[in-house]
Amino acid sequence: MLQNELFNSVIRDSNAGYWELHINPEREIWSDKFCNSLGYSKEELQPTIDYFLEHLVHQDDVALFRDNFISYRQNAVNFKQHIKILDKQGGYKLFRCATNDELPVNIKSEVSLVFFIEVKLEPEQDIAKDNFYYKETAQMTSTGSWYVDFKEKKSYWDFETKRILEYPDDYIPSLKDSANYYAEDSIQKAADLFFNCAMTGVPFNTEIKMVTANKREFWVKAIGKPIYNDSKEIIGIRGVFQDIDEIKQKEVRLQKSIDIIASQNSRLFNFAHIVSHNLRSHTSNLSLLVQLIEDIDNPEEKIGFIKEIKQISYSLNTTIEHLNEIVAIHTNKDQVKKKIKFQESLDLVTNGIGQMISMSKTKILVDFTDLKEINYVAAYLESILLNLITNAIKYKHLDRDPIVEIKTYEIGKNKYLKVSDNGRGIDMKLFKDKIFGMYKTFHYNKDAVGIGLFLTKNQIESLGGSISVESEVDQGTTFIIEF
Amino acid sequence: MSQKIGLACIIDDDNMYVNLVKKIVEARSLCKNLMVFQNGKDALNHFEAILTNLDNKTIPEIIFLDLNMPVMDGWEFLDNFTKIKNKIGKVITLYVVSSSINPVDIERAKSINLVKDYLVKPVTIEDLESIFLKNTL
Repeated sequence: MLQNELFNSVIRDSNAGYWELHINPEREIWSDKFCNSLGYSKEELQPTIDYFLEHLVHQDDVALFRDNFISYRQNAVNFKQHIKILDKQGGYKLFRCATNDELPVNIKSEVSLVFFIEVKLEPEQDIAKDNFYYKETAQMTSTGSWYVDFKEKKSYWDFETKRILEYPDDYIPSLKDSANYYAEDSIQKAADLFFNCAMTGVPFNTEIKMVTANKREFWVKAIGKPIYNDSKEIIGIRGVFQDIDEIKQKEVRLQKSIDIIASQNSRLFNFAHIVSHNLRSHTSNLSLLVQLIEDIDNPEEKIGFIKEIKQISYSLNTTIEHLNEIVAIHTNKDQVKKKIKFQESLDLVTNGIGQMISMSKTKILVDFTDLKEINYVAAYLESILLNLITNAIKYKHLDRDPIVEIKTYEIGKNKYLKVSDNGRGIDMKLFKDKIFGMYKTFHYNKDAVGIGLFLTKNQIESLGGSISVESEVDQGTTFIIEF
Repeated sequence: MSQKIGLACIIDDDNMYVNLVKKIVEARSLCKNLMVFQNGKDALNHFEAILTNLDNKTIPEIIFLDLNMPVMDGWEFLDNFTKIKNKIGKVITLYVVSSSINPVDIERAKSINLVKDYLVKPVTIEDLESIFLKNTL
């Protein structure tokens, strides 16, 4: 009986308990494994169907098993079912019942068999443990999970998502409100990501600004991926939000420092260039002059060149004074910021150049109502106002008296000063990049030095602000300072 | 027999430098006449006017061009001058003379066809003399 031997070895090695159903005389043989898996020894049990049904099977399963068993024994109708059986400890164990057609095809059993394969449930304890770890992980990493169900048109948030978004535990998120969950400047981005994920299945992993229930904006890492059903349709998006606000703030601060350093560096480079160029033009002249003096034999002519040396010396001094002013901006220890009223600062400036203003019939229109004062270095604010006002007067339009409009205002957290004039304007196409350069002048005025706007820009930037300019020839010029 | 340069042109806003060069030119009698423009715009205006009235007497044979100037700097002048130079119909040799020792400036200037050479200020009397002599026919 080769087949039987093979069959026996397979059965013996398998983990399942089983019954052999014999016909003559009609009886069942319960395997050792079957008894052991329930904790009984063979002697404790009567291996009959009646005993089984009466003492061991859970009453819920009795009727079904009896019917299945009888059909199988009498008519060889194979069956499968789940069945709960009483064990020695008095609890019920769940088994999956199967019959001969479960056997591998190459094994033909001569007797009918019923297998009892224990169904091991995940022990309750382990699930609780996993749940604990999941919660710990979620909390410690501030990572909340969520799911958007397209069929039901609902979103689901776990406890941590609610916590980082500062919503109560019983809050029910709604797709309709989803715009409320993102910062204003991130709504479009969020909409694009979700739309792309929903329509084309593109997963996303990005950093985005969200808003909590308490209207606090913060940065999260948002990861999402599409969920498909069996027919490969996208039925939802599952993902996580991780609170990375602290990291992001650090990154933003770092970027800011980098920007400041870069701008300082570029100003230093610029300064080195200016120093080299501006001093060189004088020393070149001096060197040329010396050559000329040596080249000339006539003593009277030589003496004539002495006054040229004076002129060079004077120019050299002026340049060095200008350079000192620039250095002072970057090294000045007196850069103490204090609250300054714009009106007071302007009064100081207009008093100082009162004569220039009245002589040129300049009208100054002032509107400080939106922003009356600012925390700034007093000397700089005066210097800025002085430079912009005197520029407006120096480069007034020849056909009209100068009008200077000065206005302060706020947009969000940013503070601005706007100074516009009706002067002759600057050709922006030609001079856009040069307006704030040193020794750049754009008009034929004799008193154009080309240092004022350069200093103004340096002062503003040294305090972390910026200055921009708009101008049209014959219309006027507008400077906007962001503090 | 070399013939002296008739007209040289200086485009530079540094009056001191211009005066000194004038003196050198006089002392060494390097050329007959010298014309001076304070910036690129003035010079360009002159050359554009020449186009409408081709009067050879005011076309210089040699130009010394500064780079850093108000109103129109040397670069912009070069851009504009390149466009009209061929219409002038006379050989003009152009030298850039600047106090900039920035290699970027030097490379950029030398890469422009129009620019014969780049002289770093201070120029020497010998430099000037040799340039004037080199360009005489």
